[in-house]
Amino acid sequence: MICAHAKDSIERIFFKAAKSRLTMDAGDACEIVAADAHGAHSMPDANLVILTVSGIAFRLLLILHFDEEDERTRQYFIKKESERPFLEVFLEICNLCCGAVNQELLHYFPDLGMSTPYVLSARCMPYLEALKPEFLASYAVTINGAISLGATICMCAHAPIDFVAEVSAVEDTSGELELF
Amino acid sequence: MIQQYLLGALAGVVVTAFAALAAHRLASVKAMGRLRSGADRQVETLTRANAAQSELIALHEQEKQDLDAAIAQLCEDLQQQSDSADEVRSELKAAVEGKDQLAHKAAQLAAEAARLKALASTFERWHEQMISLMTQNQDMHAKNRELSSIVRHVVIVSLNASIEAARAGTAGRGFAVVASEVRALAARSEELSKSYRDSLHRNDLTTTATFQDIQAGGKMITASLSSVESLANQFQSTLH
Repeated sequence: MICAHAKDSIERIFFKAAKSRLTMDAGDACEIVAADAHGAHSMPDANLVILTVSGIAFRLLLILHFDEEDERTRQYFIKKESERPFLEVFLEICNLCCGAVNQELLHYFPDLGMSTPYVLSARCMPYLEALKPEFLASYAVTINGAISLGATICMCAHAPIDFVAEVSAVEDTSGELELF
Repeated sequence: MIQQYLLGALAGVVVTAFAALAAHRLASVKAMGRLRSGADRQVETLTRANAAQSELIALHEQEKQDLDAAIAQLCEDLQQQSDSADEVRSELKAAVEGKDQLAHKAAQLAAEAARLKALASTFERWHEQMISLMTQNQDMHAKNRELSSIVRHVVIVSLNASIEAARAGTAGRGFAVVASEVRALAARSEELSKSYRDSLHRNDLTTTATFQDIQAGGKMITASLSSVESLANQFQSTLH
C-alpha cells in the first residue's frame, strides 16, 4: 500500500529532519546509515523515545534509540542546559525532530496530528511487527563520529500512500518551537 | 323742327344708349371673362393647394398612426420592464434573505466547529489513561522482576538441596527427587516469568502506539476543525 516513492520520500524527510534537529550545532556532522530491521539490537541497553504522526490513512511512528547511561551522549545534549535533566532535553529534541517530519509531511497530507513523546525499553522493539507496519526501517545515527543514536521508522497504512517529497538539500536549521 | 331735333337727339340717345349698352355688355363680358379666368386660376391653385394639404394631412395621419403604434409599443415595453423590475426586486429580496440565511448558517458552522474543538480535551483524557495504564505496566514489570529474582533464588536453593541430598547418599534419595522437582518447577516459573516479561513489553508498545495514535488523531481533528471554523468565519465576513 505504501509505494516505493513514498518510502523513499519518508526516508529523505527523516534524514533532513534528523540532520537539522538532532544536532546541537549547525556545523555538527550527522551520519545516518541503514541498520538491521531492529536497530536497537546494536544498542541492547538503549531506551526508546516514541512519537507518532497520525494522518487519515496512516500512522508513522518515529522511534529514536538512545543510551541514557552513555556519558558522551549525555554531555552532547545537555552541554548548553546543564541545569535541565538529560531526558527532558532529549525528549524536546526528539519532539523537534518529529515536528520537522510532521511539518514536511503536511505539504502532502493536509490533515495530520502529532503525539507527545514517550519513553519505552528497547526490549519493545521486536514487537513492532505486531503493529503490522508496511514500512519498517532502522538507521544508525552517528553525530560527530562519537555520539551513537538509533532511529526506526515504522509506518502503518490502511490506504494506498503515494507521494514524492521534494526535500531541499539545504538543511533548515531555523528553530521552530514544538510544545509538548 | 324741334321734334326732328328731338327725335334725332332721341335717336342719338338711343343709339348711344345701345352703343353704350353694347360697349357695356362687351366690357362686362370681357370683365367676366377675365374674372372667370382669374377665378379658374384661383380654383386651380386652390385645388392644388387642397391636394397638397390632403397629402400633408394623410402624411400627418400616417405619422400619427406610427406614433400611436410606437407609444403603444413603448407602453408595452414599459410594462414588461416594470414586470421585470418587480421580478428582479423579488429575486433580490430572496437573494438578500438567502444571504442572511447563509451568514447565519456560516455562523452556526463556525460555532459548531469551535464547540467540537473541545473534543481535544476528550482525546487528551484518553491519552492520560495511557499514562495510568503504563504506570500499571511498570508496576507489573517490577513485580515480574521480583518474581524472576525469587525463581533464580529457588533454582540455587534446589541445586544446593540436590547437592545435600547426594551427600546424604541412600538416605537422601527421596530428598533428591523433591529437590529435582523443585528445580523443574523453578525452571518452568522462570520460563513463565520471561514470557510474562515479553508480554508486558509487547503490551507497552501496543498501548503506547495506540494511545499516541489517539492523541495525534485528536490533534489532527482539532486542527481540521480550526480550519473549518476559520473558513466559516471568513465566509460569514464575506457575506456581511
